[in-house]
Amino acid sequence: MKPSLQRILWISKVTFLEAVRQRFFAFLLVLSAAMVLSSVSFRVFDFGHGELKFIADFGFGGMFFFGSVLAVVMTAQLFFSEMDNKTALTLLAKPLSRAEFLLGKFCGAWAVLAVFVVVLASLLGLVLWAREIELIALAEQSGKIPATFSAGGLAEFVLLQWLRLGVVTAIVLAISALARTFLFAVVVGSLAVVAGQLQWIAQDAVLKPTDSLLYEGFLWVSCRLIPNLQQFNIGDALVLGSAAVAPGAVAEVVLSGLFYVVAYLFLGSLIFRRREI
Amino acid sequence: MSSAISVRHLTKDFRIGIRGLKLRAVDDLSLEIPRGQVYGLLGPNGCGKSTTLKIVLGLVSATAGEISILGQPFATSSARRRTGFLPEAPYFHKFLTGRELVRYCAQLSGVPADSVGPAVEDALGLAAMTEAADRPIGTYSKGMLQRIGFAQAVVHDPELVILDEPTAGVDPVGSAAIGRMIHAMRDKGKTIVLCSHLLGQVEQVCDRVAIMDRGKLVLEGAVEDVLARRDRHVMTIEAMTPAARVAAEAALEAHGAKVTAVTHPRRSLEDLFRELVTGSRDA
Repeated sequence: MKPSLQRILWISKVTFLEAVRQRFFAFLLVLSAAMVLSSVSFRVFDFGHGELKFIADFGFGGMFFFGSVLAVVMTAQLFFSEMDNKTALTLLAKPLSRAEFLLGKFCGAWAVLAVFVVVLASLLGLVLWAREIELIALAEQSGKIPATFSAGGLAEFVLLQWLRLGVVTAIVLAISALARTFLFAVVVGSLAVVAGQLQWIAQDAVLKPTDSLLYEGFLWVSCRLIPNLQQFNIGDALVLGSAAVAPGAVAEVVLSGLFYVVAYLFLGSLIFRRREI
Repeated sequence: MSSAISVRHLTKDFRIGIRGLKLRAVDDLSLEIPRGQVYGLLGPNGCGKSTTLKIVLGLVSATAGEISILGQPFATSSARRRTGFLPEAPYFHKFLTGRELVRYCAQLSGVPADSVGPAVEDALGLAAMTEAADRPIGTYSKGMLQRIGFAQAVVHDPELVILDEPTAGVDPVGSAAIGRMIHAMRDKGKTIVLCSHLLGQVEQVCDRVAIMDRGKLVLEGAVEDVLARRDRHVMTIEAMTPAARVAAEAALEAHGAKVTAVTHPRRSLEDLFRELVTGSRDA
């Protein structure tokens, strides 16, 4: 293995160990797991939709909300703990480039998010599977078509959610490289997540004709600078088959996500190179 | 052979506040740090010592001036591979054990995989941390933190070791242990740059010193040269009676010399402390 990759791996390993020891991670994981498990108790409030959809929406919501909070707060905390405690001084005085340091931080944080997403998805899969068996038995008695879910679709959705959190992590690292304080990084990182969720509005606006070149330019830049985080939310279609997923759509979303991860890590590295430690 | 570190007309300004007011931390500093010596960089807090070292290591950019480190024009990856650094008040990941930390730093410093084990043990031995190496760093005392910091700085057998306040907050016994480590490194032919404001220790371990004040260099030279008063002499006499003293003073005056002070020699409080608590270790 190349020395550069090895250094990234070592930084990410220590970052991962540091992150999983944090109470914040354990707290959010337990809270999200409790939310997924409790969805069975709340399924009577399914507002006329299918029970499986209600349970799945609970799980997707937990994964999205708590995953985003974890990606923003934990990533900023992992970065600023190195800066504020001056451990970065010791590390960056070694033959370790700043880009390697940042990539190591990213890989470590992303690995923690993989644990988070996989644990939640496994719990969600178990709950959906258990309820599916009950619903199939009930449907056989009543002669109706039973509701089912796709385990393969859930796996695809987990991959997309992990990638979405990777995009958020890369954005927060780029912001942290520029920010002076943890609070600034968390606030701006959170706003970036909200902007990403609302980016489709700018995409819609681009399609409408306008006379203002400045406005058009602003929308064009917004559409490209801010990733569309909504494109990862196709859980209903993938897991419950509520809508058809166009062939190649998942691959397109994956490529788009990877592009933003690389772009924001590159931007973060450029900013971090000039930062005084 | 080039100097270990060469600094020419180095200036560093920090911008502070929204208005970007300029704070000059280092002001037109020029230094040549020769190889194979223990070099003390002294000065009060805020005089620019640490900033100078950070610039040398590439952690902070210079506003003006030139730097060369181990013959390289700036702190390249190759130069940093041959340099060890112990920052002021080092803080390490508390969940790692001492051995894990030193191994981690050896790997980051480019020690070949098959040499990491012996290198880690050597560094732990030099820092007298072998016994405590498997304890989490969170359980270490301040002196042990400094010693494990020293071990991580030297684990890759660097040519140049930069120590920023290595004895800050450490008791005299621990401080003496760090002094012995510095001497051991010098005996191996390494260059050590020691940044401190503990003048007694610097006097004991350094070959050359530079004194900085408000970012400027105010004095530089060999310790013996800068401290010696060539126009004064000290004689230590045993069993001197009052009559012998009068006779000695008269004999000296006959040759044009004048006795200006006669006192009993004193040992330092640090020597007395170390003598009384010798063997006590914080390990």
